[in-house]
Amino acid sequence: MRPTTLTARFLSAACLSAGLTWAALPAHAGLDEVIELHILPGTADFADATRRLSDAASADCRPDAVQSPYNAAFDAWMEISHLRFGPLEKNGRINAIAFWPDAKGFIGRSLGGLIADQDPIVNHPQDFGDVSVAARGLFALEMLLYDPQYADYDADSYTCRLVQAISVDLARMADGIDADWRTTQAPEMRSAGQDGNTTYLSRDEVTQALYTALLAGLEFTADQRIGRPLGTFDRPRPARAEARRSDRSLRNVVLSLEALRDLSGALADVAIPVTEAAFDTALAEAGELNDPVFAGVGDPTGRLKVEIVQQRIQAVRRAVEGEIGAALGVTAGFNSADGD
Amino acid sequence: MTRKIYAAATAIAIATTPAYAANEAVDQADVLDTYADIAAAAYGDSLTTAQALQAAVEALISDPSAETLDAAKAAWKEARVPYQQSEVFRFGNPIVDDWEGKVNAWPLDEGLIDYVDGSYGGATDENQYAVLNVVANPTFTLSGEEVDASEITPDLLENTLQEADGVESNVATGYHAIEFLLWGQDLNGTDKGAGARPWTDYATGEACTNDNCDRRGAYLKAATDLLVSDLEYMAAQWGDTGDARKTLMDDPDAGVAAILTGMGSLSYGEQAGERMKLGVLLNDPEEEHDCFSDNTYNSHFYDGLGVHNVYYGQYVGVDGRVVSGASVSDLVAAADPEVDAALKADLDKTMFKLMAIKVAAEGGFSYDMMLARGNEQGEALIMGAVDALVQQTRGIERAVSALNLDDIGFEGSDSLDNPDAVFQ
Repeated sequence: MRPTTLTARFLSAACLSAGLTWAALPAHAGLDEVIELHILPGTADFADATRRLSDAASADCRPDAVQSPYNAAFDAWMEISHLRFGPLEKNGRINAIAFWPDAKGFIGRSLGGLIADQDPIVNHPQDFGDVSVAARGLFALEMLLYDPQYADYDADSYTCRLVQAISVDLARMADGIDADWRTTQAPEMRSAGQDGNTTYLSRDEVTQALYTALLAGLEFTADQRIGRPLGTFDRPRPARAEARRSDRSLRNVVLSLEALRDLSGALADVAIPVTEAAFDTALAEAGELNDPVFAGVGDPTGRLKVEIVQQRIQAVRRAVEGEIGAALGVTAGFNSADGD
Repeated sequence: MTRKIYAAATAIAIATTPAYAANEAVDQADVLDTYADIAAAAYGDSLTTAQALQAAVEALISDPSAETLDAAKAAWKEARVPYQQSEVFRFGNPIVDDWEGKVNAWPLDEGLIDYVDGSYGGATDENQYAVLNVVANPTFTLSGEEVDASEITPDLLENTLQEADGVESNVATGYHAIEFLLWGQDLNGTDKGAGARPWTDYATGEACTNDNCDRRGAYLKAATDLLVSDLEYMAAQWGDTGDARKTLMDDPDAGVAAILTGMGSLSYGEQAGERMKLGVLLNDPEEEHDCFSDNTYNSHFYDGLGVHNVYYGQYVGVDGRVVSGASVSDLVAAADPEVDAALKADLDKTMFKLMAIKVAAEGGFSYDMMLARGNEQGEALIMGAVDALVQQTRGIERAVSALNLDDIGFEGSDSLDNPDAVFQ
């Protein structure tokens, strides 16, 4: 499955740069494969999709015209949303692109504030990065495009210009992520351990960063995307489902699993049958779940089905640890979701 | 590998007098002792300063005045100094993490407790009880059950109101509930200024402002009493026979990993991310950790110092007493001096960056001003500390690798902490 040229290129680079320490490692991560086949196509897709979104919104800002490119942009985001380090972390991009969960209702409050004030920042979309992350990115846009409180705006309204400004800002960030990955992040990862590289002192550190992103991505989908609407048996919380206004809650779970399976395959240099099987099972369970926004978490049968998907994702994580973690000789580092 | 280090360290310790200078083998047990001693001292100081706060609160209630309110506020700020330094013990020590929400939960929907300004809004999708106002309501319905709150007791706060309706922001106990009761809401937005609750909110008779002064006083007293008893419990856990100390000592490898887990999880996800970066990104002073008192810069500073303390194996108590001994730094230095030197430099840099925020805030550039949209100096100050915290997290990961300690990270995930539970 993995092109031998990539393997050979990677191995020689690793041996040259890292010398003796590498002889002791059980396997090498498919760094070039991860970058070339997983990350860079994803950052390019997201940049393209947000550019199309921005173009569409500038041509016609109303929900009917923008919803379709909006969904395409969100789909593209799901290809890379688990890469929560480096370019995605820079300048708070990940928070600005996907401000969720929003337990304190910042999105509604921030958008409401801009609209009430007719804040002139919308006339300078390239500076829109100055406003609160709650009024930026995919979730602010979702509120304006789908929530009945906002979505009936006219083409000459303030909200229309706000939709355009958020779209321009998104495309700008996506472009920055793609550029940063190509010009800075990928070269830094490839030159790990070489003189002058202070970010990655060894290939191990790169492997650990990618492996941490994989596990943290699985954790986020299980604990947040599914765990938040599940709430407790006595107090289910369907209103907490991610992107429920645009009916994307389950879709995001599926897309995140597909992206993480892609990363797993690229990262591992050995066959990973247990992990592949676990992903298949989780995706099959999610595919059979006929509940796009987890509305069924309140009744016992519907809830059980959602819980099963969550359990299957937790099983994927254990498979990854047992198979990929063991093969690469790596354990997870700290991730940004550590803490509360 | 780690066991080998441990065995070698033990052998040397038998042959020679233990010495903790870098480059000499260090006994893991001694390192854990120092760590537990620092925890005992930090929680002990947290307890005594909370007792001083308790006395100040009692003085405020029995003799309400501007002076007694100010004295209580001062006592609260002093109590935060040791407590924030203890936060590094939270992640990595389940006994602390399971308990911590009782004393330092944040952010809170303060309308649960007492009156709030109209701009605060009402109940939300997330929290039906965001404006419950227990001070004003002796009875109310909570999750379908009638609650008798005619007497405001520690039990009511702890067992009925805390995380009411399963909502985390229903914070009824701990430092921040007390902070709100002393300062009130900070209505200055990103302008300078803290909450300005009048002392007459605790006055008796005609002088009482905003109604229910007696119930407000009862709430403040109950919350303070509860804080003291919670801290008594935690200080005891780190005593010579305490469970937290014992758990740590039972498995030295896991114990050292717990120290580094606590350092890394607090530095990155919690402090750099949740507490500092998010506030800047949201431009929202409500995201300040100590938003009522405007004491946020100190909370950040002492959080950072706590991480510094446990790595260097040294803690300066509120009475000037110094606890020090064999440190994680000594262990790391023995394994890889470069990693140790780099991490020390990272930790020192973080303290310098946190100090810069503290200096600016105490000089008049308050933390809420730093959060204002387009305030570049404020953003640079805060993000400077955030970047330093992220950098030190990388250094902590390198220390983990240098010591060959596995299975670190992923704090707080039920499914990972207990991976078999899902199939039971």
